Amino acid sequence: MHKIFQIFQVYTYVLIYPWTLLAKSSPLITHVISQTPANSPDGLSLHTSTLINRDRPKMSYYFTILSPSDTPLFNIAFGTSKGGGDGIARFRFPETAQYMNQFIIHSSLDILEEAQWTNGSMYLKHIDTYPPAAAYITAFLTPSGARFLLLHQPPHLPSSTGSSGLGASSLLGSAGSTTRASSSSIAANPTSPQTEEAVRQFMNEVYENYVKTAMSPFYKQGMEIKSPVFRTRVTAAGKKWL
Amino acid sequence: MAAPPRHATMLSISNGDKPAQAQPQTQQTTLPQSPGLRVPSNRKTIYDRHLNRSRNAESSRASFAFLFGEMVTYAQRRVTGIQDLEKRLNEQGYPLGLRLLDLLFYRSTSTSSSALSSSSTSSSPPNRPLRIITLLHLIHGPLWRLLFGRAADALEHSVSPDTPNEYMITDNDPLVNTYISVPREMSMLNCAAFVAGIIEGVCDGCGFETKVSAHNQPTDLWPSRTVFLVRFGDAVMEREKVLERSGVK
Amino acid sequence: MSSNKTSRIGEEIWKTRVDKVNAELVTLTYGTIVAQLCQDYDSNYQDVNKQLEKMGYNIGMRLIEDFLAKSGVGRCANFRDTADMIAKVGLNSDTLKGARIVDISQVGFKIFLNVTPTVTNWTSDNAQFSLIFEENPLADFVELPDDGRAQDELWFSNILCGVLRGALEMVQMQIEAHFVSDVLRGDDTTEMRVSLVRYIEDEMPPEEE
Repeated sequence: MHKIFQIFQVYTYVLIYPWTLLAKSSPLITHVISQTPANSPDGLSLHTSTLINRDRPKMSYYFTILSPSDTPLFNIAFGTSKGGGDGIARFRFPETAQYMNQFIIHSSLDILEEAQWTNGSMYLKHIDTYPPAAAYITAFLTPSGARFLLLHQPPHLPSSTGSSGLGASSLLGSAGSTTRASSSSIAANPTSPQTEEAVRQFMNEVYENYVKTAMSPFYKQGMEIKSPVFRTRVTAAGKKWL
Repeated sequence: MAAPPRHATMLSISNGDKPAQAQPQTQQTTLPQSPGLRVPSNRKTIYDRHLNRSRNAESSRASFAFLFGEMVTYAQRRVTGIQDLEKRLNEQGYPLGLRLLDLLFYRSTSTSSSALSSSSTSSSPPNRPLRIITLLHLIHGPLWRLLFGRAADALEHSVSPDTPNEYMITDNDPLVNTYISVPREMSMLNCAAFVAGIIEGVCDGCGFETKVSAHNQPTDLWPSRTVFLVRFGDAVMEREKVLERSGVK
Repeated sequence: MSSNKTSRIGEEIWKTRVDKVNAELVTLTYGTIVAQLCQDYDSNYQDVNKQLEKMGYNIGMRLIEDFLAKSGVGRCANFRDTADMIAKVGLNSDTLKGARIVDISQVGFKIFLNVTPTVTNWTSDNAQFSLIFEENPLADFVELPDDGRAQDELWFSNILCGVLRGALEMVQMQIEAHFVSDVLRGDDTTEMRVSLVRYIEDEMPPEEE
């Protein structure tokens, strides 16, 4: 039964979603072109938070759970809570963050699948970087094949004004490219051992709640996780560790 | 079965939502929020219950046997033959395999004495099985202990060069067959097909596409001895060779 | 008969006469049964409740049979022997008519599930009472489907009503049992209401004066 169901799902996606894609992709790109250089609301709110704590730039996070066949089961965006952060995500391109984050995460799946069979750990740490958006991807794999992916995006620092132009042009140019940059220049380094440890704790806590979800006899693999309690738990884990 | 194209699946995330317009961006509006279930006034939900709470709890063996018996009887009324019945039992076991897999790993990460390793000293989380033999040991040992309180009785690999993808897990006295008396005309039936489904779920969950079937192999000493035949798919065998060459354990 | 005594008896039987199995195996197996029924009956929860009750009834009868067989007397020749046997293992009530029902109910659930429900809410004629399940292993790990109906229509643990009906029928009591609340539905307690319908035939041992 489950197998029939999965095949059915695949066909549904193939048949339906290319239409969604065509409908949504063009406004997405125009937004990127026209909005990015200005980007004022983002810069403004960022400024406020830098005033509170200059030393600890606030990270924006996008966390998603994918089924073994890449069906999205859950996603949430939040920001740094540690060191006086307000827990609110401020992605660099707020208008398109939702789509860009998903795009970036999905473009890291090939790397994830490779890592999956060379490293048996559940927590695979930082697996991928997407330089045009300065986005870092960290992964955790449950033994039953669900993928937890966390995208971190450090804030657009006011000092580095030059990079916003870079973001706009290379965002389109390198969408399909495989360029990966080193991350050593980032103020709050998403690949530092401290960050990896904090993310590990976060992932473990989400995993515990995921297992609780999956243990219910009415939860079937691949079902979207809609429980508001689950969402609250993930939010709390984010507050606690990130 | 081909995986859906990546870009196609990606956009299915959006569920038809509008891009977030307002600052600050909170994700609260981006997925349709279900009103959720009612909860008791103490607000206890499944998320408040510790996953290890019932770890050492016991129930009556007869209760299990009768419950399982009812499950088989019910399934029998909705199928046309033995094969059909076994298939149905297998399908009911499958999702249990997926759940048990997550539960096993959770328990071995959350406690000092690991459910997955025999040594209680290992404090690092266990690894997901990457190779067939690791996977089968996980089933033969930890999974069997969680379900039946003891390890399975044997784990064997086919010696035939034609079937290198076949493995056997033997249980001399499967709990699921203890109280079941199968009618004469159904003597081929083995209700351990349910357990075969659990095994299949565990294997599939770990990324090892498999078919598992349960077979009666009685001996004088063990009249309900059952062999679980595990047959891995071609893709798994191919990957196994690659991993072998690159030294992945 | 004091509830203390009943629970001591239940504990004693549980410790000495019941073969054990991992409770989670029972929990998870039961969960797959209910989920399967919901799927087969296309989420017609009333039908699922009925089917669960029926399954429980069969189990209740067999449980008593099995229990007696293990107690060393073999299969009982008739219902009267069964009742006598129950009395021998300590379940004879020498007080209220209804007390026997609750004793058997409590001990029965101890044997079946390793839980002892609390007895409460008697009616004045002693023909109805409630069993409160502080613990219900069947519902461990369970969250009902969030479909807007399951929490109003499905009695997840309805098999327990059947188990009690089947078990009590084996000792000549016809009862009716149904759940009136369930924490899975968001209620504060899990409560089963039990009514004595009648004693089957006139073969019960006379009540002691």
